[in-house]
Amino acid sequence: MKEQWRLLETGYGTAFTNMAIDKAVLVSNSRGKVPPTIRFYRWQPSAISIGYFQSLEDEVNLEICKNFGVDYVRRITGGGAVYHENELTYSIVISESHPRIPKNIMESYRIICSAIMKGLKNLGIESTYIPINDIITNGKKISGNAQTRKEKTVLQHGTILIDVNVEKMFFLLRVPNEKIKDKLIADVKERVTSIKHVLEKEISFEQLSNAIKSGFEQEFNIELVKGILTNEEEELTKKFERECFSTNDWNHRR
Amino acid sequence: MQSRSIYKVPKGKLLKISLNYDEKGNSIDEIRITGDFFAYPEEAIDFLENELKDTLLEKEIIFKKIETIIEKRNIEFIGVNVEGLTKGILMCKK
Repeated sequence: MKEQWRLLETGYGTAFTNMAIDKAVLVSNSRGKVPPTIRFYRWQPSAISIGYFQSLEDEVNLEICKNFGVDYVRRITGGGAVYHENELTYSIVISESHPRIPKNIMESYRIICSAIMKGLKNLGIESTYIPINDIITNGKKISGNAQTRKEKTVLQHGTILIDVNVEKMFFLLRVPNEKIKDKLIADVKERVTSIKHVLEKEISFEQLSNAIKSGFEQEFNIELVKGILTNEEEELTKKFERECFSTNDWNHRR
Repeated sequence: MQSRSIYKVPKGKLLKISLNYDEKGNSIDEIRITGDFFAYPEEAIDFLENELKDTLLEKEIIFKKIETIIEKRNIEFIGVNVEGLTKGILMCKK
């Protein structure tokens, strides 16, 4: 029989709740309370997440965010700033000692990204993993990913763009041109694509999450079983949201 | 003296450093290392910034110091390395 992992579909959440749930699942898994978990989620209101090491004011036009009603939050993972609107966000939480997870960080990025690529393939989209943390299709980024390891547990989360308003994205984010200096692309706006753009048709969140779910099942040879957050995870979520992700101390710390 | 640098690490990430330094003594007063890189464990960045205080702004000295801290705290950087950090810091020097 195939190993069973938990599938969480938590729907729409605020930026603070979304980041708090990922951390709550990490803590709960590290305590041995819950199985390896794949989570799919969305953002309401739309929001910007920034990497652990980024300076909030350097990366985000805070004034414009306020005008648009866009939230912002600092992640516990490194990496870059992301504008979350029409996308599927996933997270995977699994023990570092699980036999299917490489000890080496870069190798584990590759395997988890491979699950996403298999999911995209289920929709007829060919994609390529570009280390460190990007998945591209037709030379443009369709998915960004970020991993942390705490309490001997791996948390990787990432986004798959369903549709993208590039103008709005780069209006909200401050992206310096140094970022693409060695990528031979004249304009940072040329770097991003979406499923809608590639397939030239709309697909629903549910279609995409089904495809990605299968991608994880194929890559890890597991069965994903729908579950819900435990009471402990609910409590931890509230605590992390209140004490960390919703605070200025956390979000403005760099 | 307050200064900043932005440095795209070759095949790596974008490093942004804010430096407050003593021009006469040629040493670091305060440093803030930001960017879209990865480091494990993440919290080690605060330690690295603290340890770099009062360090002389000389290539070999900064390089050695960062190398020693990485070894001592068992830090793994991805998307940035000792060379990149050293270069980013020295780029702040006017």
